[in-house]
Amino acid sequence: MTDLPLSQPAAAMPGRRTGSLLAQDDRTRRRNAAESRFRLYGVIAIAISMIALVVLLATILTGGAGAFRQTYLNIPVTLDAEVLDPNGNRDPAEMAKVLTLAYGRVLDAAVDGTIARHGIQIEGLSEADIDGLISREASAQVRDRVLANPELVGQTVEFDVLVGGRIDGYFKGRVTMDSAERDSNTSPQQLMLAQELADRGEMVTRFNWNFLTNADASDQRPEAAGVGVAILGSLYMMLVVLVLSVPIGVAASIYLEEFAPKNRLTDIIEVNISNLAAVPSIVFGILGLAAFINFAGLPQSAPIVGGLVLTLMTLPTIIISTRAALKAVPPSIRDAALGVGASKMQSVFHHVLPLAMPGILTGTIIGLAQALGETAPLLLIGMVAFVRNFPDGLPGGLMDPASALPVQVFNWTQRSDPAFIERASGAIIVLLIFLLCMNLLAIWLRRRFERRW
Amino acid sequence: MYDTNRRVETAVTPDDIKIQARKVQVYYGDKHALKDVDVDILDKTVTAFIGPSGCGKSTFLRCINRMNDTIPIARVEGQILLDNEDVYDRRVDPVQLRAKVGMVFQKPNPFPKSIYDNVAYGPRIHGLARNRSELDGIVEKALRGAALWNEVKDRLQEPGTGLSGGQQQRLCIARAVATSPEVLLMDEPCSALDPIATAQVEDLIEELREQFSVVIVTHSMQQAARVSQKTAFFHLGNLVEYGDTDDIFTRPRDSRTEAYISGRIG
Repeated sequence: MTDLPLSQPAAAMPGRRTGSLLAQDDRTRRRNAAESRFRLYGVIAIAISMIALVVLLATILTGGAGAFRQTYLNIPVTLDAEVLDPNGNRDPAEMAKVLTLAYGRVLDAAVDGTIARHGIQIEGLSEADIDGLISREASAQVRDRVLANPELVGQTVEFDVLVGGRIDGYFKGRVTMDSAERDSNTSPQQLMLAQELADRGEMVTRFNWNFLTNADASDQRPEAAGVGVAILGSLYMMLVVLVLSVPIGVAASIYLEEFAPKNRLTDIIEVNISNLAAVPSIVFGILGLAAFINFAGLPQSAPIVGGLVLTLMTLPTIIISTRAALKAVPPSIRDAALGVGASKMQSVFHHVLPLAMPGILTGTIIGLAQALGETAPLLLIGMVAFVRNFPDGLPGGLMDPASALPVQVFNWTQRSDPAFIERASGAIIVLLIFLLCMNLLAIWLRRRFERRW
Repeated sequence: MYDTNRRVETAVTPDDIKIQARKVQVYYGDKHALKDVDVDILDKTVTAFIGPSGCGKSTFLRCINRMNDTIPIARVEGQILLDNEDVYDRRVDPVQLRAKVGMVFQKPNPFPKSIYDNVAYGPRIHGLARNRSELDGIVEKALRGAALWNEVKDRLQEPGTGLSGGQQQRLCIARAVATSPEVLLMDEPCSALDPIATAQVEDLIEELREQFSVVIVTHSMQQAARVSQKTAFFHLGNLVEYGDTDDIFTRPRDSRTEAYISGRIG
């Protein structure tokens, strides 16, 4: 421990540098070159990811923007009492027996009438071409409105009826005369008829609220399909995930990080939590199928099951990020709290947890966003089913069949009609907007909590 | 300085022993960090622990309020009696002990809360105030005790972390004082402070002695000589010499002490 006096001769230093300060020596030059190269790599990496992002967004936006616009044919429909209310008593219960087929005939007559009124030439067009102008969903649309208001029967009422998917696509630029030539579902003549109706102001293209509120529709009527059920299903699942994974995950991390003894058992638990985070999500789907549906007997396609599976999937993410946030709280704060006689629990809940809060929230929201976008496990528990009916309100709705946004995208991309691809891109835009909102929320919460010194 | 010490010395009687350590051993895993420490710390006295880095002085300080409990591999043997009660008795709850033995750390570590809440935290969790005005009183008294009241009385709701380093350390002292401890442990309280702040804290320590038994770990021998009446010199885990500060610095009995205070080891 006895130090020698610092009087060694300084001249004995090996490798003394000589030369001017104004000129770089070789070594310095190499070092500087290495640094510039590294910076260049960084810029290239960022540029590549930015280009990828821009291309991705551009593809989705151009492909999906059409889903938010929809063309309608504005026609006066004579609601023939003979056909729609054969008994003549305007009783909704009896009128409900009249099927969409009858409404279809009424609509076809209305379309023919409109064309005749404008004196448009329809030579070379079959009856099917003319009827095909409007969507198969249109008759259901009219029927719903009539059943809701039986007094309309017998009158002539203006309707904005959905046009067919190809016609809609023509007005949005997806379908052209060339493509119609090769398409068995439409023809250039039909498109020209639609164009003539549009020239006379009978076609309107406007913002498509129905895309956000409608349920899925069958293969034949893409123009009626919407993400309403999927949004609701995703929201229900997020609710389940939030309610279950946040308390469980945060409590588990606090226990592991602050209270649990550090021994072999906690080491094993720690390793396994990290492993769980890396387990492919489809495995959680199989687990959910076996545990929640086959064993516990919960219904298929239900948001509760989806939520439970996604909770299992999200928990490791939340636990890992929460533990990291807790670890990042300086030990001096714990010492300070213990030093004034706070118990372990008081020091954690009064001081450590509030300081870790921004990190915990960020991790939680990232976990939730991941769960929101997850598809694979949901396929296995039946969320991929075609669901026409909206789930009930909470809490009963958790047990009803529902879809989810990413699954809806997956579903639509598998259908043959290109209009569904447009819808799928539209659903992706909706999903991205949700994710963006969640990330903004994360940033906002982070700022808010950090401002508390 | 000399006179002050003499006055204190004459006032000391054996009844005034606050902390009695007997055969204290500390192990960090396999490392024997503290060996056979016997020391009697007096009430209303400033006791300084000096010694080179890693000599065990901070370790011993942290034994007194059982802060070593938070280090899983640390093991303490022997006896430390606070008012004749063994602090390592199985029945002792460290939480109650730490309310009686306050601590100030090396680096100022105010909570990221307001100045008021920093000081009020201890009294709150120990239930020392029945109502808001009592709490206000305790906070004011503690801040006055830490010579900080005049500087912060108009901004009690501002963050404690916004104060200067010296003010932060005095805030930490106020926080420790607010729970009315009997012993105040200070682990190198001035090592992160500039000379002016150091002087303020040293003046404060002098005042604190009137109410508490103060134990201070310091790297600076000048500081030990300025503020303490008793000094203990630790070296390589041993308590080499313990006695009146004047004697340690002017007539050390052990050659290692002499080497250290004259700057030859350390």
